[in-house]
Amino acid sequence: MLVGASALCLVGCAGQQSALDPAGRDAERIAHLFWWMASGAAIIWIAVACLTFYSIRRPTAAMSARQARLFIIGGGALMPTLVLAGLLIYGLALLPELLAPAPEGSLRIKVAAEQWWWRVRYRLPEGGETELANEIRIPVGEPVEFELESHDVIHSFWIPALGGKMDMIPGRKTRLVLHPTRTGVFRGVCAEYCGVAHALMAFDVVVMETEEFTSWLNQQSQPAAETTEPSALHGREFFFANGCSACHAIRGTTADGIVGPDLTHVGSRMSLGAGTVPNEPGAFIRWIQQTDKIKPGVHMPHFRMLPPEELHALEAYLESLK
Amino acid sequence: MKTSPGDPNPLDHEPPAELQRLQEERLLKAWAAPKGWRYWSEVNNTQVGLWYTATAFLFFLFGGVLALFIRIQLAQPGNDFLSAETYNQVFTVHGSVMMFLFAIPIFESIAVIFLPQMLGARDLPFPRLSAFGYWCFLIGGVFLCGSIFFDAAPRGGWFMYPPLTSQYQPGIGADIWLLGFSFIEIAAIAAAVELIVGTLKCRPPGMRINLIPLYCWYVLVAAAMVLFAFPPLIAGSMLMEIERAFHWPFFDPAGGGDPLLWQHLFWLFGHPEVYIIFLPSVALIAMIVPTFARRPIVGYGWIVLAAVGTGFLSFGLWVHHMFTTGLPGISIGLFSAASEAVAIPTGVQIFCFIATLAAGRLVKSTPMLFTFGGLATFVVGGLTGVMVALAPFDFQAHDSYFIVGHLHYVLIGGTIFPILAGLYYFFPLINGKKLSDKLGKAAFWITFTGFNVTFLPMHLTGLLGMPRRVFTYPAGLGFDTLNLVSSIGAFVLAIGFAVILWDVVRPKRKEPLSERNPWGAGTLEWLQQMPAKPWGVRSIPEIDSRYPLWDQPNFLRDVDQGRFYLPDAEEQGRETIVTTAIDAQPVQVLQLPGPSFVTLWAALTIGGFFIFGTYHQWGFALLSAMAAVGVIFYWMWTGTAIIPKKSERDVGLGLKLPLYASGSASVGWWAMFITMLADFTAFVSLVFGYFFYWTIHHDFPPDPTPGPGVFWPCLGAALALGSWALTALAQRWNRQGRAAPFYAGVLVAASLATAAAAALLAGPWLTGLDPKTHVYPAMVWLLTIWAALHLLIGVLMQFYTLARRLAGKMTAAHDTDISTVTLYWHFVAITIVITVAVIAGFPLVN
Amino acid sequence: MSSPSEKNESLWLLIVSPTIWAGHFMFSYITAAIWCAKFAGSDGSLRPVRWAIAVYTALALVGIGLNGWSGLRRHRFGSEPLPHDSDTPEDRRRFLGFATLLLSALSAVSVVFGAIVALFFKDCR
Repeated sequence: MLVGASALCLVGCAGQQSALDPAGRDAERIAHLFWWMASGAAIIWIAVACLTFYSIRRPTAAMSARQARLFIIGGGALMPTLVLAGLLIYGLALLPELLAPAPEGSLRIKVAAEQWWWRVRYRLPEGGETELANEIRIPVGEPVEFELESHDVIHSFWIPALGGKMDMIPGRKTRLVLHPTRTGVFRGVCAEYCGVAHALMAFDVVVMETEEFTSWLNQQSQPAAETTEPSALHGREFFFANGCSACHAIRGTTADGIVGPDLTHVGSRMSLGAGTVPNEPGAFIRWIQQTDKIKPGVHMPHFRMLPPEELHALEAYLESLK
Repeated sequence: MKTSPGDPNPLDHEPPAELQRLQEERLLKAWAAPKGWRYWSEVNNTQVGLWYTATAFLFFLFGGVLALFIRIQLAQPGNDFLSAETYNQVFTVHGSVMMFLFAIPIFESIAVIFLPQMLGARDLPFPRLSAFGYWCFLIGGVFLCGSIFFDAAPRGGWFMYPPLTSQYQPGIGADIWLLGFSFIEIAAIAAAVELIVGTLKCRPPGMRINLIPLYCWYVLVAAAMVLFAFPPLIAGSMLMEIERAFHWPFFDPAGGGDPLLWQHLFWLFGHPEVYIIFLPSVALIAMIVPTFARRPIVGYGWIVLAAVGTGFLSFGLWVHHMFTTGLPGISIGLFSAASEAVAIPTGVQIFCFIATLAAGRLVKSTPMLFTFGGLATFVVGGLTGVMVALAPFDFQAHDSYFIVGHLHYVLIGGTIFPILAGLYYFFPLINGKKLSDKLGKAAFWITFTGFNVTFLPMHLTGLLGMPRRVFTYPAGLGFDTLNLVSSIGAFVLAIGFAVILWDVVRPKRKEPLSERNPWGAGTLEWLQQMPAKPWGVRSIPEIDSRYPLWDQPNFLRDVDQGRFYLPDAEEQGRETIVTTAIDAQPVQVLQLPGPSFVTLWAALTIGGFFIFGTYHQWGFALLSAMAAVGVIFYWMWTGTAIIPKKSERDVGLGLKLPLYASGSASVGWWAMFITMLADFTAFVSLVFGYFFYWTIHHDFPPDPTPGPGVFWPCLGAALALGSWALTALAQRWNRQGRAAPFYAGVLVAASLATAAAAALLAGPWLTGLDPKTHVYPAMVWLLTIWAALHLLIGVLMQFYTLARRLAGKMTAAHDTDISTVTLYWHFVAITIVITVAVIAGFPLVN
Repeated sequence: MSSPSEKNESLWLLIVSPTIWAGHFMFSYITAAIWCAKFAGSDGSLRPVRWAIAVYTALALVGIGLNGWSGLRRHRFGSEPLPHDSDTPEDRRRFLGFATLLLSALSAVSVVFGAIVALFFKDCR
């Protein structure tokens, strides 16, 4: 039955954000637990339905008082007690493993949720930290510990394909350990209602081979790439002229705003606006022009008044920030 | 069926026809509803219950329309039918309305209608309290629902998690939620008082505790749960409103607060709440199944076990809504265990119903159809409930659409379908006509199909990763088709409800009246004549069986001809019989208050306090509160503890019962006791808050402790205890007829209590605690103010007894007033001692 | 055999066992919460808490057992079988005893469920 259900699910359960298409140890354990419980639940439901049907359509004489009592004791009390006890033990046995911290020396990533995006800080192997935003890349086959916090409202950090979720609560620090088991691109979301744009608070998750990851992290910890392309250079001027640097930081330049997401390597990201728009050509322009349309409630003002040439230049600059 | 040898038999001859006519005339005079606009001053529970139920259904329709908006918006990815801001208001109001304005009120309103009938009582003991509750509910509900038309509705989710709601949502939406619902919760507690005292004290003679209809067991449990579940939410709402209005940082980490405290208080209410609405709905099934199985319920004792057991266990589940907040594994495990255990009693009751069907012979009917639908659906919800109760699975399922699916299976399967079954079953009692079987069957299949098409896919949507409370979702993640299917299902479901609505409101004037007891049921509510008489039962029967209409020979005739108790309204006043709690021995004839607008005024003035408070018009709010105190005193003065003209009433069958009872024999004393249990629970919630902060801070109270010191709180406690002792003594002096010591005692007690309040407040005041700076001073101030307020209310009550005695409305023999006030003071004394032990004592030992 | 009077009966006896469960549950939870928050730290050992829960469990089961036994005795009062549905003081007594017995059984199972939890956790994580 389990095999059958899992096979069925290969079709319907796949997805970048699916808990039933696991890519991590924890998600696998939980999906397994789910299939067991779902099958058991189906059997119990069918059994109860059959009993009810039988009791109203029975061919034989009515149940005697004694039989009825045994029926209630057996079916209503004993059976549930035993089934639930078994299930409880299964669930409890799973818990310590899911809650265990990552071993010493594991990769640690600090994630701070803001209304409505993710500030991501990698601890570098050589010491120090580097700040990124709205995209998380991790090596396959290694435990990774997320240190979670929030400075405004409650959010919740959830990558369904890798494992369960964990809330991010102002004034508290929580942690979540995940164990990715296969490479791929996945999607994480905020699972706790956090205000107007809660629905548009997502992030991309890329599980990579370890060497690939190491070079990626090394690249991301570098300051922004110097560009020589003229329109990008123009865009850079407009970036500062329009005050973007008041909120955004670009390492290696004087832009050191801390209110909004770090843009040092924004051109390399898979999406903009915290998983809201795919990073395709033209995406930056749409985002800068229609920020509030694309993402209602967003704290970044729109720049609809900018002339097209400025917008194109800005896009060229931001795209150059690979 | 064996009867107790001492039980009287009904009269063995028919009373003369002329006497019967006169009796009916007098009963009618006493119980007829007022005419014209004065109709709205009616307080009879059957009438009020009808208003209550109708209003709750209107709110249900309102919430349902909002649900359709949600489903339209989510029918396809990236839809812009609703803006994000509007969507967030819509889902918040949908959840809040369904929970607070439908589910809770419908339980209480159905109980208020049918409890007197099932108990063969003419009315419940506090009809005016029910009317008051109704008016609070109506005012609060309209205020809340109306806000969405002005784009001012709450938008923090029905769970209102801070700091989003406390600091990030300006505007009055959150205040409307906090104050509006606190107001409605007061109404719910009022109804709970009525239902508990009604079940325990207003049963027909002979209906021992082992004979009461199962419905009453469930209602008793659910009402008792209200007393312990609602106060934590009222306390939490108070904390949050104070934070919003006056910036005391209860949930703000910058001031030492913690948003998790709200989650604890909210779910300490929120989880029992699910069972508070589920149990009374299953109770309807427990009444319907025996009727159509044509035999008594099998496993009566087991069902009582299930009701009481669920009531308890449901208070050990609240943290399962907080499994992902990073609590220690062992805490998660404990709540996971209790959440699994609660499934056991639920399973027991379902097997009792199946066993009853198996031991009887099913008669097919529309109510049974809805019952089967409800059970089939609820079992799914119960099974997925067992799944999410297991913490590891909840880590994935929590806050995803899986939960949305689960909770609707529980609530619609466990509540709506049983209520619809009840609607088709009980409707003849409402206006003497049956609903249409044909429409009912059609409606059932439409709603049942629509429901499953809507909510079954959601389980998968959730596990595919769709979080809850999102106003939109991107295409291509596997959600698109599933959401579209859910949206289509929602409209099918809505059509089903429209059919039911039509069946209820379609004109039925030409249809014949239903015959009496059309389903052949065995319980007392089916004594009712078609159409109903306002007086309820013609005479209050002596009960020998769980199903008297089946088991007691000539029962209908004896009741109708007035061969049982109290067949008359001698003084043309409203009366019912009070019995003992366990064996239902008759002990008193209770004179019930008649129609009055005072209940409406009380609701308006108290509502004024909350509504002005919402707009932070504290001056008007205070005026309104003072007016409310005045109205309530007028109500008490004119409507309670009235000394009867005669001391006894001959209720027939050779039984004479007193018309006045005092102390713990009076229903008023019980009402005070129950109310104070709720009040005390709110207080304990605040104390819980104090110690909660202690556990999360290394320095709580801060070292050195900035206040309130030891001297002033202890002085306050000493004075308060003096006042308490003098009040108790005054009660004794009054009973002994010693007027002078009584007056002096009460006067001194009142002055001591006033001084005590001042001394308590002097503690934090003189030590300069500033509640805005940190949660420690805020908590100390709050506990102190809570205690002082209780003292001052106690002072008002002391003066009240003084005035009552001066006016001759309280005498040595008729001393309900002071005995009730003394009971209040017992609770105040405990409150003060605990407060002082916490605010002055705990800093010393810490 | 004289009829049991209403005065000797109490509805409170019905809820003794569930109340003991509630006490067991609250004490277990509060002990663990305070220990982890104030004393052990988020990675500390749970050893004392597990001992405490063992003691609470033993006490609770004894209490529930006694209450359940008294329920059983009343349920068996005069050897009338279920369903205890006659309008007699005897049947009322048997019914209350039966309900007490059942609630005790449920409470005992719930206490054991709670106690099982302590077996699985060695630290405050």
